[in-house]
Amino acid sequence: MIGLVAVSHSRALADAAVELGLQMGGENPPTVRVAAGGPDGDLGTDAVAIAAAIDEADSGDGVLVLMDLGSAILSAETAVEFVAEPGRVRLSPAPFVEGLVAAVVTAAGGADLATVAAECATAGDAKRRQLGADSDTGIQASVAGGGADADARAVAEASFEAVVTNPSGLHARPAATFVKTASRYDADVRIADLDAGSEEISGRSLLALMALGIRPGSRIRVRATGPEARAALTELRALVEDGFGER
Amino acid sequence: MSGAVSTDALVAWIRAFRDAVHQHKDELTRLDSEIGDADHGSNMARGLDAVVAKLDPAPASAPDLFKTVGMTLVSSVGGASGPLYGTLFLRMGPALSAEDADATALGAALRAGVEGVVARGKAELGDKTMVDALSPALDAWDAAAADGADAAGAARAAADAAARGRDATEPLVARKGRASYLGERSAGHLDPGATSATLLLEALRDALADPA
Repeated sequence: MIGLVAVSHSRALADAAVELGLQMGGENPPTVRVAAGGPDGDLGTDAVAIAAAIDEADSGDGVLVLMDLGSAILSAETAVEFVAEPGRVRLSPAPFVEGLVAAVVTAAGGADLATVAAECATAGDAKRRQLGADSDTGIQASVAGGGADADARAVAEASFEAVVTNPSGLHARPAATFVKTASRYDADVRIADLDAGSEEISGRSLLALMALGIRPGSRIRVRATGPEARAALTELRALVEDGFGER
Repeated sequence: MSGAVSTDALVAWIRAFRDAVHQHKDELTRLDSEIGDADHGSNMARGLDAVVAKLDPAPASAPDLFKTVGMTLVSSVGGASGPLYGTLFLRMGPALSAEDADATALGAALRAGVEGVVARGKAELGDKTMVDALSPALDAWDAAAADGADAAGAARAAADAAARGRDATEPLVARKGRASYLGERSAGHLDPGATSATLLLEALRDALADPA
């Protein structure tokens, strides 16, 4: 599993953001290290401390670094020069909090560094879409990029429809459970909100799923293709019908 | 003298820079409070104190010296000037491998350092940053060296050019760093980074004029 490093001017800010992220990490969350605060515990960043945190977080599968602003970015870039394996480090352009949450969930699902980095890169979109602002950036790319290759599509295709019974709809926690479950199977899982007439999005993208904003009582369609499509759908259907354990 | 710059003179430069930053600490912080987060003077003073604490005994060679200075700055300044000044010294070290650091070699090392700063900060001339002092200083250094000046003479020309570049930042609108959030309101203030970068070049001028 990849590791994560949270870089911030403020230790308190970083610790709280990591706590928020790990809430969504389930039983087996990724390693998250914090490198935050100036040399005297004031607001600031330290490239050497960031490099040490990256080395600690790297179990061999690489490390994604999330940063707040300004010197956090410059110090993280400098830190990459000092780490043991610079080729296994990616700096994420994602907003700090959204990026951390997306990274924890995606990494916990076993995704590799490139996949987690790509998922985090669209981490600002859920908020933008929710607020009705211009949103034709990352989610669309994630929809387009979610399509598996033609071979997998040919193997087996199945789908189910169900009504979301969670009192708050498919909010962050059940959405995270859905994404983690979908990511465990060798299958391309797609989900659409039929009541809202939404596009079909990748069931492995937490941010795309949260951006759908599926409300309680909405009918969804989950479709899967690939060798483990049926097994994935069986478990996902049970989860949805059980209200993800929230009832 | 043959014009070669000793490691002792370079150590004196770093010490003089620390002293100058302490002398102008309040001014740097005041400039930074006008368009930034009001910590440039105290951050640089803290970082350079940590640097000077590692100069006794003095590093054996110029590359060792610059590596020590760079690593200490990236770790102990705290703000964006840490990785920026740190990168400047980390890039200068390998560029100055020979013992005979004459005006041309030192100029080339400074250029490698400033190129590192530009690559790190992505700042261009006129963005109201330290590059606005460093870049004209390099050009003045090279011109003086090409005219046959020794390192002391090149450093005099570079310090003068840095000061002019610093003064020219006053009317500019910041396009990098915290000050860029202010937009038009950042005009009318000297840039703190260009101000401390000028102190760096003036310290080099003073250290070479009066070798330790």
